[in-house]
This record gives sequence, C-alpha cells and structure tokens, in this order.
Amino acid sequence: MKSLIDKRLFDLPGMKKYAAILGVLIFIQAVAIIAQARALSIAIVNLWNLQSINTIVVPAIVFTVAFMGRHLLTVVENRVLFPFVEKTSGDMREDLMAKIFRLGPAEIDKRGTGNIVTMALEGIDQVQTYLMLVIIKILDMSITPWLILLYVLFLRWEQAIFLFAIFPIIILFMIILGLAAQSKADRQYEGYQRLSNHFVDTLRGLPTLKQLGLSKRYADNVYEVSESYRKETMSTLRIALTSTFALDFFTTLSIAVVAVFLGFDLMDGKVLLLPALTILVLAPEYFLPIRNFANDYHATLNGKNAMSAVMDVLHEPEMTEREILPDLKWEKGSTLKLDQVSLTYPDTKVPTLKDISINIKGMQKIGIIGASGSGKSTLINLIGGFLSPDGKNQISINGHQLPHLNQANWQKNFLYIPQNPYLFHATLADNISFYVSAATSEEINNAAAKAGLSDWIKTLPDGLNTMIGEGARTVSGGQAQRIALARAFLDPSRKVLLFDEPTAHLDIETEASLKNDILPVFNDHLVFFATHRLHWIGEMDYVLVMDHGRLVEQGTPDELAQRNGDYVKLRSEMEAADL
Amino acid sequence: MKNLRKTFANDTWVMPYLRKYKGLLILVLFLGFMTFFSGGALMFNSGYLISEAARQPSSIIYIYVPVVLARAFGIARPVFRYIERLTSHNWVLRIVSDFRKKLYQTVESKASAIQRSHQTGDILSILADDIEHIENLYLRTVFPMVIGWLLYIFVVIGVGSLNLVVGLLMLLLLGVITIVMPLASVATNGVREFKQHQIQHEFYTNLTDEVLGLGDWLISGRYDDFINLQKKPIKEIAALRKQDHYFQWWRSFFVQFIVLLTTLVLLVWSAYQFTETKSLANWVAAFALAIFPAVSPFVNMSQGASEWPVYRRSIERVNALDSGDKQPVKQTTLNEPFNELSIDNLTFKYADGDRDVVKNISMDIHPGEKIALLGPSGTGKSTFLKLVVGDLTPSDGQVLVNNQNILNLQDVRSSLFGILDQQPYLFDTTVMNNVRLGNVDATDQQVKDAIAAVDLKDLIESLPDKYDTQVQEAGKRFSGGERQRLSLARILLQDAPIIILDEPTVSLDPITEKKLLDKVFELLHDKTIIWVTHHLAGITHVDQVRFMEHGQFDMQGTPQELYKTQARFRQLYDLDRGKA
Repeated sequence: MKSLIDKRLFDLPGMKKYAAILGVLIFIQAVAIIAQARALSIAIVNLWNLQSINTIVVPAIVFTVAFMGRHLLTVVENRVLFPFVEKTSGDMREDLMAKIFRLGPAEIDKRGTGNIVTMALEGIDQVQTYLMLVIIKILDMSITPWLILLYVLFLRWEQAIFLFAIFPIIILFMIILGLAAQSKADRQYEGYQRLSNHFVDTLRGLPTLKQLGLSKRYADNVYEVSESYRKETMSTLRIALTSTFALDFFTTLSIAVVAVFLGFDLMDGKVLLLPALTILVLAPEYFLPIRNFANDYHATLNGKNAMSAVMDVLHEPEMTEREILPDLKWEKGSTLKLDQVSLTYPDTKVPTLKDISINIKGMQKIGIIGASGSGKSTLINLIGGFLSPDGKNQISINGHQLPHLNQANWQKNFLYIPQNPYLFHATLADNISFYVSAATSEEINNAAAKAGLSDWIKTLPDGLNTMIGEGARTVSGGQAQRIALARAFLDPSRKVLLFDEPTAHLDIETEASLKNDILPVFNDHLVFFATHRLHWIGEMDYVLVMDHGRLVEQGTPDELAQRNGDYVKLRSEMEAADL
Repeated sequence: MKNLRKTFANDTWVMPYLRKYKGLLILVLFLGFMTFFSGGALMFNSGYLISEAARQPSSIIYIYVPVVLARAFGIARPVFRYIERLTSHNWVLRIVSDFRKKLYQTVESKASAIQRSHQTGDILSILADDIEHIENLYLRTVFPMVIGWLLYIFVVIGVGSLNLVVGLLMLLLLGVITIVMPLASVATNGVREFKQHQIQHEFYTNLTDEVLGLGDWLISGRYDDFINLQKKPIKEIAALRKQDHYFQWWRSFFVQFIVLLTTLVLLVWSAYQFTETKSLANWVAAFALAIFPAVSPFVNMSQGASEWPVYRRSIERVNALDSGDKQPVKQTTLNEPFNELSIDNLTFKYADGDRDVVKNISMDIHPGEKIALLGPSGTGKSTFLKLVVGDLTPSDGQVLVNNQNILNLQDVRSSLFGILDQQPYLFDTTVMNNVRLGNVDATDQQVKDAIAAVDLKDLIESLPDKYDTQVQEAGKRFSGGERQRLSLARILLQDAPIIILDEPTVSLDPITEKKLLDKVFELLHDKTIIWVTHHLAGITHVDQVRFMEHGQFDMQGTPQELYKTQARFRQLYDLDRGKA
C-alpha cells in the first residue's frame, strides 16, 4: 500500500496547502454522507411505521440536499485540485525538456529517442492522472471511514467495533496476497514485455523470414507463443485477482454479517430499527474509499512509475560550468589543446579514449582514421562537447583551461556534420538556415548552389519551400549531406567543422560528386574529419591515427607515410588491389 | 450510427471473433450480470431482514430464510466477480492470440524479402498497440455496456411487473443513464478525441524531431526556440483535456442526479404501494437499499462509451490492412537443378509512379557466374532485385528460372535464392536458433560447422553460454561484421544455388568489409552471385560489372576491361582505393 505513495509527492510545491483544503472538503463530504444515510433511514422507518406520506417530505428534502451536496463536493474537489495538478505536471514537462536540452545527445543515446519522447508525452500524462487520483483517494481513505465509524460508535458500539476490527484484517490480507501477487506480477510484466517484444521482433524480421522461406510457417509460432503466454498470464492472474477477491469478499460479507447481527439484536429488542437501518446504509459507505483505492491500483501504479522515471532524469548530473570560456572567434592564431585526456562512459570500466594529447592551431585540416571501435566518433563527440572527459582542466582553448568543451562560446564556432545529418520536418529553406534564422532567401539560395543542390531544387514542386523530413518528401543520403554542407556555407562565422564519416554509406559515384562540393568549404576553416575512406586523407594536412582508444600516431600524411608505422599498416589493410 | 456501420462494414477483426468464442462471451456476460445482481440482492434482502426482525416476530423461523440468503449473496457477489474477471481475461487473451496470428499473416503477405531498412518498426509497434486497444475495447467498453443493459432490462421488467407506471418511469430515468448519456458522450467526446489526437500527433512529431536533432539545437544555441516549439501543442492539449475533465465531472454529477430521482420515485412509490399492511411495509427498506448497488454498474457506462473513438481508430486501421490482397498465382516446383536465370525484357512501373523504374532489362545468368551491380541510390537496383525474386510482378517482361516463371516458383523460392542484405535480422533468441533458421532440419553439428566456416567458432565458444548466447534485440550483442557473418552462416545452411548480396557491407568499415567479402566469395565460390554494391571494394571477385542508371544498364564488362577502356570507371576505382 505504502509503495503506491511516492515520498517525493509531498515535496511538490504547494502540496501541503492543497492537501489541507481538500481535507476540509472531504470532511464536509463525509458529514453529507452520514446525513444522507440518516435522512433516508428516517424516511424508510416512517413508512415502515405506516405513517402518512407527509412525514417523509422533510427527510426526503434533507436526503436530496445531502446527496446532491455530496456529489457536488466531488466536482468541487476535482476542480480545486486540477489547476494544481495541471501546473505541477506542466512544469515537470518543461523541466524535463529543459533538462534534456542541457544533457544533450549523449543522454538520448543512453535512453533512446522513443523512450524520451514517450516519457515527455505519455509519461507526464500518467503523472497527471496519478496526481489527480492519488491525492484525493488517500485523503478520502484517511478521513471518511473514520468519521462514519465514529457515528456508528455513537449509534451502537458493538457494530462499530466489528467494522473497526475488520478493517486491519482486510488490509492485512491485501498486503499478504498483494505481496505474493506483486512478485509474480513483476515477473508477469517481464513476460509481457518479452511477448510484446517477441511479436514486434518477429514482424521486424519478416523480410529475413521471407528470405529463408519460413515466413508462412512462422504464423503458427506466433500463435503458440501467444497462447503459452495466455496460460502463464492466467495462472498469475488467478493470484493477482485473489487479492481483489479478498477485499471484495471481506467487505461484502461484513455487510451481510452486520445485517444478520442487527437482525438478531432487533428481534431481541436490543436496538431500534432507525439506528440499525442507518448502520446498514452506512456499512457500504465505510468500505467504499478503500475499494475505490484498490480499483485504481494499476492506473496509480503506472503513474507512480512514470513519475519516478521523470524524477530520475531530472536528478541526473549535468555538465556545469558551461560559461567558463570567454567570447571566442576561432582565428588563424587560435589554439586548442588536449593534454592526456581520457574518457570513460558511465556504465563501463574501460576508458574509450586514453591519454589523448593534441595541439591544434588555426585553420588546420585534421583527418582522424582508425578501424571501427577505435574511438574516432568519441573523439569528435568530445571535441563537440557532447561528452565530458574524466579529468579536469586537461583541455584549453587560447590558453583558457576548461573542464570540458560543452562551452556555449565554443559551440557558437563549429558545425557538426555526422554520417546521417538530421533533417527537421520543415521546409528545405528552414533546414538550410537552421543555424542562421535571419538569412534572406537569396543567401539561402547561394548557399544551396554552393552545396550543389540547385539542380535538385529545380525538380522540387515548391523549390526551397518544399517540406522535407519525417513524413514529408524523402531525401537521399547524398542530398542530406549537401543540406548540412549548405548550412556551413550559409554561416561563415562558424570556422570549425566536425565531420563524422560523412560519406560512409554513400555510393561511390555520389561520394565522388559530393567531394567536389565539400572541398571548397575546407578553405579558411579548422576541419576535423573522421573517416575510413582513404581518398580523403589526400586532402588533409594532419592525420590522427586511432587504435583502441589511443592516439597511436599523428603527423602530416607525408611524415606518417615515411615512418612506416600504424598509418602505413592501416592503409595497406584497407587498400584494394591494382587492376 | 453511420460511423458505427462504416467501421464494421468490412470488419474482419472484431465481429468474427465475437462469433467464434460465443460460448465464453455469454458466460462472461452472465457472470457479470450475476455479480451486480448479487450485490443488489444482498442489500435488498438485508433491508427486508432487519425490517422483519424489527417487528420482533415470535420465532426466529421468520427471519431464517433472509439470514441464510444474506450470507449466500454476501459470498456469491465476490465469487461471481472473481470468476467473471478470470473468464473475461481468458477470453480476451484467447482473442489476442488469434489477432497476433492474423496481423502477422496480413503483414507477411505484403512483406518483401528485399528490404533496405527496418524503419517500419514504428509502424509495426503502432499495429501491436492497436491489438491492445481492441483488447481494452472488450474489457472496458463492450462487457460493462452489455452487462449494464442486461441489468437495466431486468430492473425495468422487475419493477414494471409490480407497477406499470413506475416501470415506465424507470425505463425513462435509467434509459437516460444507460443509453442517452453514453451516446451523448461518444458524440461530444468523439469530436474532442479526434482533435486531441491530431494535436497529439503533431506534438509527437515535433518532439521526436526535436529530440533527434538535439545535437543541432544544442550547437545552434537556440534554447528558446527549442522550448517554444512545444508550447503551442501543450497548451492546446491542456485546454482540450480541461474541457474533457470538466465534462466528465459534470456528467458524473448529472448521472447522480438521475440516481437521486430514481431513488425518490421508488421511495414515493413504496409509500403508496407498501403501506397497506405491516408485512408489506417491510419491503420499503428492501427496495430503497437495493437502489445504490443496483445502479452502480450504470455510473461508469458513459466513460466506457466515450473511449470508443480511440478503439474505432484502431479497428479501422487494422481493417484497412486487409484490403488489396494479391490474386494467388498457381505454384509449381522445379525438378532439375538450377541451370539458367533468364531476365527477359523486364520493365516495371509502380502503381502510383510516373515513370518506369526498371526499363527493358535483359540478361541471362548461368550457374557459377558472379555479377556486380552498381549505381547511385534511386536508380532501381532494389526494385530490380524484388522483380528477380518475384516479390513484385513486372509491368512487362518476365524472370525465368529454367524456363519457369519465377512468379510460379514462390513456394520453393528459398531453395533457389539465398539473400544477404544490409542489415540481416537476428531474432531475439540464441545464436544456435538464429543460424538454424537457414535450415530448420540442420543438426547441431551442421550449425556449428557453418559457424566455424564463417570464422566465428572461436568467438562464440569464448562466450560463457557459447552457442546458447542470446543475441539480444536485433542482434545488439554482436558487431555489424559479426552479424553479417552469422547471417552468412545461415545462408550456408540454406544452400540455395543463387545468392543475392544486397549491399551487405554498407555499414562496415573497410577492413571488416574486405575480410567479409573475401570470406563470402571464398565460401560461395560455386554459387551464382548477384551482388548489388555501393562502391568498388572487392570488385575483383566478380566476372562482370554492370552500372545501372535510370532503370537501365549503361556500362558493363569485366572489371579489368572497364578499368582499361572506361575513364569514369577508372576514376571511381582510383578514388575508392584512395589514389585519386
């Protein structure tokens, strides 16, 4: 039971004030419930005594007022709480997005795009539902039954004691069965995830099954897995539902027992009909809050889990000290220095980068080569400030010591062009001018022309105003690279270019023609170019050779060729034969 | 109503299963009815019991029956409810198994063996969600509604048989809760739900877009734009949701108002009907107390109904899947070994396309020949491959294997073609199971031999679980090159005469690529190979290179010839080797 209530719930700003207001409202509501029961009983007893219909007019009016008051209070409680819940969950969503912005792409890699989007959308919605449900239900459960009990005690203490005694028994049974069901339900949930994954897994692998001639036969496998899951589910469901059954059984039977004992007491003349009837009418009301609470168990559980997931992200450590670097314009004389920099990903032990030292000055063209997994991309991400190094103050720009490169003033200086540049769902023009929102259409046109996009744009129905990106016109890998390139042409103030294998998955003809358009942008820029396509090395004036996270060689291509070390070895492994 | 008819006009997903599991369905409805009946009966009986007891009858015998009944109903209610819930879940899960199979078969009939990416994963997840929605349709809408209506009929007939006028009043009052309010909810909520869905969709797209492009947002420093982009949909959704909540709260209030009227009607009626004699008056309490438990199932009917629009979308989506089934083509088998693959004047245009993607391609391929196919993306290479294996039907021309049309050989296709593509799929199971998919009758030893042939024996045997190692989701456990090798092992087991290589090295680094290609051509030296590739690494392995441009071949010959005679080929080859 306790597990449903997140401690952090009470730390929410404004929570105590709203809890107090709601507490008062629920108290009044409980009084209305008692009044309603009393009035109804009076009316019935009057009729039972064969009194005239006039005698029930007043009780009927009291009943009507109490009944409608009670349900009106439910609306009032919700309306009082809703703005608070809305604000709390809305703030939480904004905090979450702001946090994600600060955590950057590394966080997205860690948690997955789908996960983050779902958390911000459905997750926050579930938190909202959770807050709406749980606050009122908890207060209801901690006020209403006790007030009713007090009144029953005043009417007849024997029944009050019985009702009081049954309450902990119900809770005890729910806990015992709930615990048993919980551990099984957890496993069950895993099983469910497994099945659901299995199904999507099978659907996604359909082309492969088709290739292997198994796709038709696999339909039965899908059915069998689902059926075995059903049997598994039913066996756990039996236990899970037993917990609800126990609650149901005890509350319903308690009412029956109360009725029977009241019946015997009435026969013996120990009690009058009016108090007996009132107790009987109140008995279901006494159990109602706990039943309501149990009924929404699953909705609240989802909400609670969603809330802790959001809280976890909000409490993640982020890179601070983003403003250490003073205003910077990368120029011919600027320097970037890495001194023995290592980098270890959070959940691994072995560092992905180890003791990297480089000195960069002005507008160099730096090629980064190495086999897959040698740390090329990690190095580019470190330079882009998306990842933080292990040690402090091993990096400096123009002599300013920096804890990491996630510096606002450094990020103003570079452009990052990955293997698959992301295209936003927007017009082509907006995509090109993403970094320079004030660009005129003429400037955009010029940049597009320099990036070799003109011919393609002519074939588009709306030219530069054509929508591209997810759900709109698809753009080939080569064109995507050109759009990213156009961004660089459009923004001459960004003097540093980070390329991460930009042509790796392009066909050779596209690559050849793209190369012609990329080369001019190298002029007057500091370029980092991670690649394993050898022909680019010819365009570089400095090469870093990476192997298993270490920088094993660095120098100009000519120097390295003469040294006959790792660089030469790597080239020979990659090169194809003469024809 | 028109919508409802439209949704179910060509329905193959909901109604057929209702018919198929009729027996269980009726049982569920009966149990649900009995649950509420027992709940009402308990209070009814208790009311009578204490009223009678209060008369202080001379003998306990007068209240004996009500005492027994009180206990009986007290036990019956939870028991019925328990069984009802078990049965209904069982019923729904049974249907889910059928659904999954059906969805699988529907997707299967449209899937192609030639596929460049697995981006469809998202769409498939949506479909999987749809199935869950239909599951909830039964549990949250259909069952409670039908049970509610049964109870409604029972109450109206029961009261009506005692007094026709009061029966009619019940028909009207309870009809408002059980019929009018749910319909009104569907109508108001339907519009809102639709709007909300649209905004939600927009929000989802925006947010995914932002998260995917987070690196660009970060570097551009456009923090305010980033935050502001979501503000509008958030606000709109919040406004709609607020309306929705307010509607629900006031609707519940109104339902309670009707409950109040019902109670008052019954009270006044009892005042006239049951105040003739003392023993009749005992029924007053019975009727008055039974009202609240009896109407409790009605209270939530509107909520169940208002969820209908969500379910309808799912039903329509899965039903839309069924349309456009292909006509089955008569299938035959090949009795002799493969001796010729003949591509005859092949032309293809997509139904919604404006130009031929493949134009008049002809070529003959004989056992053991190795052909490389090059060309920029979008020139029709993968369409060509789909035509070759028979996943697409040509607009003109044909593909023949030993003079049999490939379209007639689909049932035996896997004994003709082995396919290694960009991202061969590894299923979330063990290494052993994954490789064995190549030939499900292979022995453990044969599987191990195939793994050894692709040089993965040492790696796999060094893992703690060896051949029983789980490959994890989409084969994450292994690197790109290792995944390709596992798939190659599959193809070795499959042992088909023609192998199609569909850019298998596109995501690999040059060293891994070179090693993989050497291995592929070494192991498959006696096979016929059609290799679509995006660059020229390893091109010396083939006898023939063909360049494809705009659906046609424009340059062809042995690699050596092309290098000598074609300047373009020479330039590309040198570039690829890093010599340019």
